[in-house]
Order: sequence, then C-alpha cells, then structure tokens
Amino acid sequence: MAPFNRGLYLFESIYDMTERFDKHVLKNGMTILGEHMGQVGSVAFTFQLPCGAAQFKKGCCGAGAIITDWIFRGAGDMDSRALIDALDGLGLHRNCTVSAGFLSMGAAMEASSLEKAISLYSDVILHPTLEAKQFELSKMLAANDIISLDDDPRSKVMMTLREQFYPKPLGSPAMGKLEDVQSMTVDQVTAIIKQRFNLSKSTFAIAGKYNFDTVVKQLESLFDSEQPEIDTTITTGETGDKYTHIQHKGAQVHIGLMTSTVTVQDPNYYNAMAAVSVLSGGMSSRLFTEVREKRGLCYAVGANYNGLKQAAGISCYAGTTPDKAQETIDVIIAEFDKLGKDITESEIARAKVGLKSSLIMQSESSSSRANGIAGDHYLLGRVRGIEEIKENLEKVSVETVSNFLKNNKFDGYTVVTIGPESVKV
Amino acid sequence: MGCAHAVFWRYIYKSGIRMEFKKKVLDNGLTIIGEVNEASLSAAVGFFCKTGSRDETPEISGVSHFLEHMMFKGTEKMTALEVNEAFDHLGAKFNAFTSEENTVYYAAVLPEYLQEVSSLWSQLMRPSLRDDDFNIEKNVIKEEIAMYKDLPQFDVMDQCRALHFKGHPCGNSVLGTNESIDALTADQMREYFGHRYAPNNMIVACCGNFDFDELCSLVDSACGKWTPDEAPREISTYAGSLEQTRQSKDSLVCEHICLLSGAVSMQDPRRYAGSLLSMIVGDQTGSRFFWALVDNALAEVAAMHYETMDGTGCIYSYFRCNPENAEKVLQIARNIFAELEKDGINEQELQKSKNKVLSAITIKSEQPMGRLTNLGLNWVYSQKYKSVSDDVEAIKAVTVEDVNALIKDYPLSKFTNFTLGPKA
Repeated sequence: MAPFNRGLYLFESIYDMTERFDKHVLKNGMTILGEHMGQVGSVAFTFQLPCGAAQFKKGCCGAGAIITDWIFRGAGDMDSRALIDALDGLGLHRNCTVSAGFLSMGAAMEASSLEKAISLYSDVILHPTLEAKQFELSKMLAANDIISLDDDPRSKVMMTLREQFYPKPLGSPAMGKLEDVQSMTVDQVTAIIKQRFNLSKSTFAIAGKYNFDTVVKQLESLFDSEQPEIDTTITTGETGDKYTHIQHKGAQVHIGLMTSTVTVQDPNYYNAMAAVSVLSGGMSSRLFTEVREKRGLCYAVGANYNGLKQAAGISCYAGTTPDKAQETIDVIIAEFDKLGKDITESEIARAKVGLKSSLIMQSESSSSRANGIAGDHYLLGRVRGIEEIKENLEKVSVETVSNFLKNNKFDGYTVVTIGPESVKV
Repeated sequence: MGCAHAVFWRYIYKSGIRMEFKKKVLDNGLTIIGEVNEASLSAAVGFFCKTGSRDETPEISGVSHFLEHMMFKGTEKMTALEVNEAFDHLGAKFNAFTSEENTVYYAAVLPEYLQEVSSLWSQLMRPSLRDDDFNIEKNVIKEEIAMYKDLPQFDVMDQCRALHFKGHPCGNSVLGTNESIDALTADQMREYFGHRYAPNNMIVACCGNFDFDELCSLVDSACGKWTPDEAPREISTYAGSLEQTRQSKDSLVCEHICLLSGAVSMQDPRRYAGSLLSMIVGDQTGSRFFWALVDNALAEVAAMHYETMDGTGCIYSYFRCNPENAEKVLQIARNIFAELEKDGINEQELQKSKNKVLSAITIKSEQPMGRLTNLGLNWVYSQKYKSVSDDVEAIKAVTVEDVNALIKDYPLSKFTNFTLGPKA
C-alpha cells in the first residue's frame, strides 16, 4: 500500500499549491475570472456573451450559427483572409459555440501568444466587419449544416430530444431551423449582434499560464466601455411531444430518451450526478451491463447529466438494429424506473471515485478549466474549487442517493427515435 | 526474470517540467517504456499490440477488432462484470482501439491507482476467450458495423481505403462484415491470439506521475512467463488502385467524397513534412481547401488527414457538400493539387501550419493520456524514444523545399476516389 499513500499525498500537495482563482469586475460589469495552473505551458480563454439560442426572437432560430461564422469574416482593419491568417498564425485552437444561455468563443494556445490573441478577439467582438456579401455565405453554410444533419441521425436524435424535452425556448437548436435560417436578413442579424454582444453581462475566463494583472489591464483598455442595459431573462413555455419518430432508411434505430432532474444550483445536484454514474458512469454501470454486456443489444448506449440554468435532465442514447429497438428501449426504461430501489455500497463507491477522477483529469487541461469556471459563474454566480466539489462528492452515500431518487421520482420520459422502425413507449 | 537491456534515462526540460524517459526489456521480449513527469496529476498506461486488420487473412476478417472486445471479457479467474467493476473501482478512464496495424489498450488514473490498473491490464492480456462471451459479443460487433453504416463520413473513408489498397492487406476492413463475423469461430480467434499477442510483439508504455521500477517489477511478475512467438507482418509498397466509384444510398442527402493519395510511412523522416502539408492543404481553417471550398460555401466540410502506416502511408481528403456542387468541388480539389505540384507551397503558409502543429503538440502533451499514444506508437514503429522536444525540433526543421520535394515524390493528384451520395 506504500505507493498508494504516497501518490495520494503528492496529489493533495500539488493541488494546494495550484488551486488559485482570480477575479476582477470591469466598471461596465464585465467579469474576469482566472485559474492558475502551475504544471502547464499553455493558456486557454473563453468569452461568454449573452447571445444564447434561447434568447433569439421567434423567426431567428439559428441566428447563432450564422453569427459564429460571420463575425470571423473580417474585423477591425482586417478582411476575412487577414483575420484568419492572424488567428492561425498564432497557432490558436479555436472554438465558438452557442448554447441556450450564451455564445462562447475562445482559444487554447502556447502562453506566449496570449496578448496578441486577446487583441484579435477584441476586434472580432467589438469591431466585426459584418459585410452583406459575407453574410450570404455564412447563411448558406448554416443552412447546409442543417440539411446535412439528415446524414447524421445520432446527432439529430439528441438535438430533437432536447428540443422536445425542455420547456420552449430552452431546447432551441443552436444550429437553427432551416426556414428561419433561410429567411433571416443582414439587418436582423446585425441588430442581434449589436444588442447581444453586450459586455456588461459578459464573462472572460482564463486558465493555465498567465499574469492576471497584465490580462486585466489589457481587457480594461479594450473592453471597459459603457454599455446599455440588456434583459437576459428567458421566459419559458410548454414542453414538446412525449414521443417523436422520424422515419429514416438507415441501418439502425437511434433512440434518445430524457427525464427531468435537479439543476446544478440544487443541493441534491451531487446525488443526481452519482445516480447518473450508477446508471452509466463506467463499463460496470447498469445500462452498459444490462443492455450491452448481458443482451448484446447495442454497441453504443449511455446516459449523461444535461444541465441548463433553468432546467436539467438525464439524457440517454442507444443505437440498435430495427429488430432489437423495442427490447432496447424496454430494458433502458426498466433500468431508469428501478434505479432508486436497490443501489449498493459498491456502486456508490465506484460512482464517487469515477466522478473524482474525471474532475482531476479535466483539471489538467487549460481549455476544460477555462470553460469550467465560465460555466460555474453562469450557472452558480461563483466558481467552485476542486476541493469544494470533492467534499460534496464525499458526502454522497447510498442513503442520500436513494432518498433523492425516492423523493424525486422520474416523472415520465420524453423519447425520440430516428430510423426504419418506431417503438412503443 | 532479469532484464536483457540496461535501463537508461534522459531528462527533458520543457516549460520548467522535468520528464524522464526509462526503458526495460524483459527476457521474453516484452518492452516496457515510461516517460515520468512527477508534476502530473494523473498517469496513463497502455498495452500496445502490433496487430490489426492488415495482419488478417480473408477467412478471419475482423478478428483483431473482435478480439479487442473479447479481451474485456475476463480471465480464468475473473468474469466480464468483475473486470468492468475493477476498472470502475479505480476511477479509470479506460478503453481500447483497433486500427489496421495496432490494437491498443489504455487507462488513465490518479497516480495512486496506476499499479492496480497496470496489474489488471496485465491479467487481461491473457484472457479466457469463453464461447458464451464470444457468441453474445458477436451481436455487439454487428451493431458496431451497423452504427458506422449510419456515419457516412466514416463509411466513405473505409470504402475508399478498401478501393485504394485493392488486394493489398492495408485495404482490409477493421470491422469486417456481418458475413465474416458470422462465419468467425472462437477457435480461429484463439489461434490468432496465440501468435499475435506474443510478448515480443507487444509493448507496455506509461506516462505521467508513476514509479517506473515498481511498474517494471509488476509487469515482470505478471507477464515475464509469457512465451515469445513469431508474429510476422507482410510489408510491401503499393501505389494504389487510383480507381473511381460512386455508391448511392436512399438514406443520404449530401455528397460525401473521399480521395486517397499515397504518402510516406511512419518510419520515414519526411512524415513531419507530410503532416505540415496536410495542414496547409486541408486544415479546418485558413488552409487551401478552406479558402477555395468552405469560405465560399461550396462545401461544409473540406479536410485533409495524413495517416502514417508501417512501410507506407496515405493522405485522405474528405468533402461534404450539396450533390449539385459535387463536380465543382472535385474539380477545385484537382486544381489545388495541380497548383501545388506546379508552384509548391510558400514560406508563410508553412510557418502558419508549424505554429498550429506546435501548439497542438504542447496542449495535447500536457495530459498523460494525450501523450501516451504518441509515446507508444513511436516506439512500436521505430523502437526509438521521441520526446515532445524531439517532435517540436523535427517540425521546426522542415523547410519549404522539403514539403515541395514530397509533393513531387507523392503527387496528391494521383488519387483513388470513393463517393457516397443520394440516389439521383
């Protein structure tokens, strides 16, 4: 047992040294968050802007997909090619995505490129060129992406599932609706950018190797301008259909299933995470064992926690050939239904160690940490330290998870299937 | 068991972090390599077996990949469920993959669990291969085959590869077909396992925060008695069929176009120039494909991927577009290849692609799991240690002339083409 103890000790001491958060709020309200990571030579940052898919007006579903392409087609005094060349020249690993509540754009890089990268992103956010000719190309790409989703039934089933499960407009697909994307105009989307790229409700999160004072000074000089008031509340409505089948002449029936659970703000959040882990955390989890190992029904089967600020669910995917589709969904629903009844000590022990390992391994990646702290700030209004999460996971037991599931019974399932056959639910 | 070769070490300083390389070879030929980084928060270990679909005959098509699934089904002393529970009990992020040339089993864990997870893999490398498990797992394999049929971007590359390497073992399908999997017997699998999983055809690689001597002692006691065997591989060069085929499917709406051109092998030092070339031509942003095809919305995806292999290599180009644009997209790709062969690349695009590759190496290497596959496969192919710094220096040293010479020797315009698309 000697190596076991020594390893644990080393890990704790390293973490004590590295878990340091930085925070600064600009005069206009923009929040800057940072986490130093002593062991890395890279840095990653993300800008989170209040331009989420659930915030677009009716008829603008998919504006985010157009925006994330269009704003990179020229900014400041750079045309499209000069901008991309400048970003690529720094070797940036870029990402730009739209979720229900916000648009996030960021990059990971070698630490020496940080200052230049922030400067380029300030041009993209504050001074995008937004040419009409380029708009048509962004629109065409966004429309083609929606059309091509028919060739990717697995992604389509999960996108449709979230749309049906969440109260409208929380599950609005970031990719958009074809009719909306095709009818949107330059003026409409320009107005959305002008209104929604609002710095007072934005967050900048950074993780890895950086100097916080230098970063704050640079952001202050670039971004600290006065901002108009903006309403970021989302009014929710009805949920969608309980069962949707989309006919598709593919090889498999793709099954998506979702049921409600608590959000990350809820004190029972860690019990919910442990419950999902018992269901689908590893290869000894219930779904993998019952659906794949014992019955050979699927290659791919798994469940995840899927959380927004306003609502959350446990989502499940399985892909199987048509003759096995009914048995697959029956076994999955049976496993969900009986989850609260017979959880064992061993299952909870495995769930806890699995969740803790994932947490620590993610903390080795600067991108994961930058997105993690930005996400925490959006969902909770503060950043959770690794120690806090570990302590909360430690409190989870068979009793807490069983009680949680007893008091929060799954209130029915939203199901979507895509394939040659439908199922009975 | 003692060791046949002396342990040696090397220090690498990168970003102030010390990495130490160590190696030991057991008497039966099993090589253990490690890259120790005490600053890491985790450790990753892998068993690399030099076997894959190119080592199969048509009668056992798909056996390497099927066997990879069966390796998780337990030993004489452990059931499949006990195996899965043991991994999960350690909080391990574990899995395996099979390619045309390698089957790799890996796990990332917190440092305190490295010995236990390595012990588990060591035991699993001598599986029971029970008939009952074999019969149930056949269904899972056939579901995996069906899953890839619904992913046209994978299907088209698989079929293009088969068309390119027509009749050559490199064209063998990793998954096999429903028919080959149905016909496969457990005895055939046991026979294949007996030869291919010989200790002299495998290595153990480990990265991150761990004690190398303790790992060696564990592997030696668990694997030291394995018997060496012959595990030959046929290596021959092949120019490619250069044929063109289009297959239509009711379920599709887009045109999925794959081109496959020849390239240098994993052992060839020009592979660094090859990886930079593929980035210049087909990276997601800022590449020649990007400006000619994606920027103007002719294709939603236009990407190039360079795959190094044992004694050979290939470059995939993949395009997804509206069927109406298919002909135009293909013509533009041809024009890009022709321009490259006529005028070559320029210094500016080379520098840009170097920056992209270098930052990718830095970011990926910061996590032991990100580093493990490179470390292991480098050894499998060249029996040499290449540190992150070695890779960085090799990338930095590539010149415009190196890339242009490669283009002359391996013209991209000589390609095999397989296209999947909707019925007209």
